Amino acid sequence: MIASCLRTVVCASKLVLLTLALAGVAPPSAAAANMDKVIRHVFPAAETGFDPQAISDLYSGTVVQAIFETLLTYDYLARPSKLVPMTAEALPQITDDGKTYTFKIRKGIHFTPDAAFKGEKRELTAADYIYSLQRLIDPKIRSPYAFLVEGKIVGLDEAADAAKKSGKFDYDAKIAGLEAVDRYTLRIRLKQPDYSLSYVLAHEPTSAVAREVVAAYADEGGRIMSNPVGTGAYKLAKWIRSSKIFLEANPDYRGFVWDYKPGAGPEDALIVKEMKGKKMPQVGRIEISIMEEDQARLLAFQSGELDLMNMEGPLAPKVLIGGALTPEMQKKGVKLSRFVDPEISYHYWNLTDPVVGGLSKEKIALRRAMAMAYPVEEEIRVVRNGQAVEAQFPVPPGVVGHDPNYKSSVKYDPAGANALLDKFGYKKGADGFRTLPDGKPLLIRYASRPDSLGRQMDEMWKKTFDSIGIRMEVQKDKFAELLKLEKQCKLMMRSAAWIADYPDADNFMQLLYGKNIHQSNNACAAIPEYDRLYEQSLRMPDSPERNKLYHEMAKIIEAYAPWRLNISRYRNMLVQPRVLGFKKHPILHAEWQYVDVAPGMK
Amino acid sequence: MTAYIIRRVWQMVPTMLGVILLVFILFNWVGGDPAYVLAGKISNQEQIDNIRRQLGVDQPAWVQLWIFIKQVLTGDFGASWSTNEKVSNILATRLGPSLTVLVPLLILETIFAIGLALAVAYVRGSLTDRLVMIVCTVGLSISILVYIIVFQYFFAYKLGWFPVQGWGNSFRENLFVFSALPILIALTVSIAPNLRLYRTFFLDEINQDYVRTARAKGLSENRIMWIHVLRNASIPIITHLMAGLPGLLLGAFLIERFFSIPGIGREVILAVERSDFPVIKALTVYVAFATMASNLLADLMYKAADPRVQLK
Repeated sequence: MIASCLRTVVCASKLVLLTLALAGVAPPSAAAANMDKVIRHVFPAAETGFDPQAISDLYSGTVVQAIFETLLTYDYLARPSKLVPMTAEALPQITDDGKTYTFKIRKGIHFTPDAAFKGEKRELTAADYIYSLQRLIDPKIRSPYAFLVEGKIVGLDEAADAAKKSGKFDYDAKIAGLEAVDRYTLRIRLKQPDYSLSYVLAHEPTSAVAREVVAAYADEGGRIMSNPVGTGAYKLAKWIRSSKIFLEANPDYRGFVWDYKPGAGPEDALIVKEMKGKKMPQVGRIEISIMEEDQARLLAFQSGELDLMNMEGPLAPKVLIGGALTPEMQKKGVKLSRFVDPEISYHYWNLTDPVVGGLSKEKIALRRAMAMAYPVEEEIRVVRNGQAVEAQFPVPPGVVGHDPNYKSSVKYDPAGANALLDKFGYKKGADGFRTLPDGKPLLIRYASRPDSLGRQMDEMWKKTFDSIGIRMEVQKDKFAELLKLEKQCKLMMRSAAWIADYPDADNFMQLLYGKNIHQSNNACAAIPEYDRLYEQSLRMPDSPERNKLYHEMAKIIEAYAPWRLNISRYRNMLVQPRVLGFKKHPILHAEWQYVDVAPGMK
Repeated sequence: MTAYIIRRVWQMVPTMLGVILLVFILFNWVGGDPAYVLAGKISNQEQIDNIRRQLGVDQPAWVQLWIFIKQVLTGDFGASWSTNEKVSNILATRLGPSLTVLVPLLILETIFAIGLALAVAYVRGSLTDRLVMIVCTVGLSISILVYIIVFQYFFAYKLGWFPVQGWGNSFRENLFVFSALPILIALTVSIAPNLRLYRTFFLDEINQDYVRTARAKGLSENRIMWIHVLRNASIPIITHLMAGLPGLLLGAFLIERFFSIPGIGREVILAVERSDFPVIKALTVYVAFATMASNLLADLMYKAADPRVQLK
């Protein structure tokens, strides 16, 4: 009887599906995405592949974000960035004083159909996230983002250690910190409280990958660089490496209705007017061209061959006057999405170096004098074509913990810098150059890359050092070699930059943590006061108390001067008039699923 | 002839060994350690060591050199360090677009340069000859970068005669739509030096006794120039053409970058930027081999062009 009923139900379901198919009624997302709507985007550098756990470059990450999905993501319009659920039903339940995170995954999310699933519909489950987080730390895959989970999740490091010994990561072994409570419930247990884990789980390296896909397509390194199969809004349709990437709307994608709250300002209001209530994604196809040359990109955009283009610094004067588009571009209806990138650049001095390092008063005075003599405004004007702002706080705009009212005590003051050096015994010789307080020669070696920006920075620093009577030498080396020397604390001084992996202050403040020497702490700074405050901050969620600690840490940076905080660059995204609803997100790389294309406009 | 070819092929072995050694020393000397780039933004020494182990750069130099030699012998250079794509696949997929631009260019450039050189050699010393030489000298003095920027701006963007950049799916579209402007630019750049060079070859021949004799016999100027002079000047022309053939394997760096052509030239630049040694190794070895092969082919063609040439 029951069997007969079931058979009837199945038959009826099949009949309904058949009828729908014959009537041309498709699932919501397939109906929403119009395959005639195309967005043509450009990358200025080549991608490397599309394995979420194996890639680290921005452009591969952009495509990965369109194909794969993380547990959490960001609200499209909210600024500063605000976490919202993606494949999770809601934001995680955080218990045990920030040591346990519990996620409920939405039911009915499916991977794009692929031969790896042998004709079965493959639903996303908690086990997929466990597998993907394990991949991050599998030594064979050598993920550049292993640091996101390393030392954090209970039992995960031990599993990696075992893999190093056996030569194979055991994905079936139980890991205490990664538990699938049921098919749709994921519980992550941490070794210590960490309130930034939610941000980590919105970052594309933690996207869900299906184990069957890896088993079917992995290369010798266990990576699926050319066979991305995800649950996201788009799927890879065609790929001509380093040249073209074609994405198509994923017909199995669940879709969503565009409903985001506008921020202040007319830009958001217009976007809401254009987009509210639409079923997403609207755009059926994405065509990405890789064009390394500035002129080619700009001409292609101006001639209408591209819809979206990020304006790099050197191009800015051609289409921007100050912060606005030229009248010619405005006349064409081109739109500009502009904001300060969640990044900082800084000049660092190696605190273990015998000349500029150490925490003695005369060494601190030397570093402070160099910091005070550096004309940041001039760099912004001359080198950056006005497309940057002076960074005042180690946490840039758009990142949780940023304080827009904070003003650094380090100001451009060459006279003060000279006075400081005089006071601490850095005397000028007959040749006009200073010596160390003990009378030995003072020579600063500034390391830079042999490219045009490197040469410009050499000139900026030469001018700076000339203004305070310090002899300078440029150390030129290839990028790989500079990184090696930097990690080994063998460079005296260099300029560096850091862009947010996730929009939390911790991602920036860890750059001077003593335990991160030989990793991300390129100033090789071990300042006990700073380390103590940083460790305290790790145990706190975003709060006024934590921000107070960051203020104190910023003051320590200014006092000990391991860095001269430099600039944050503007991101200028040019948008053709036919593209509707576009607003560049400071953290998300791919916005294609949130926009539309005006019909009939070229 | 066969003995000559065998001897020449045998001579390639020590040359190739020299190339292998040179590339290996150069890369290890100036190439930088790729592990530090591949390790990402935050990495520790253990992770870097793991990457070095996987890439094999932790091995003693002689072991790495032996692996390189085995790769040359088997033709299997493994996978790219940065993308994990098979090197053989990289070369196979990028060669087509490069050849789509460079083969028509080579043919057109040879026809135009020879034809024009013969014409100006015929009217040597005249105002036309001098004007052409001045234009060639000016053309030679301008960087290819200027040609690219100006032509792309005017012909593609301003006049809209060509697409600014791009690459399609069909051979016909790629050849006639996307390669047209790159070929025009490359032709403009390359024709001046070739024309000057070939003109010199022809002038050397025009002053020979056999040309005077041919004229005395009443042969037409067309026949003298196109048959007798051209044939006798063909040996240095063949040498020049053959020397340029291996360049087809390297693509056209700037043209490919500016016009987004997915050719081998762009791949070479990417490989150097990423310290991607497997790709650099493979390309260097193939170009070295192609150079030696084209030299051999040139020598054989001398014999065909001029039966007086003896192959020893």
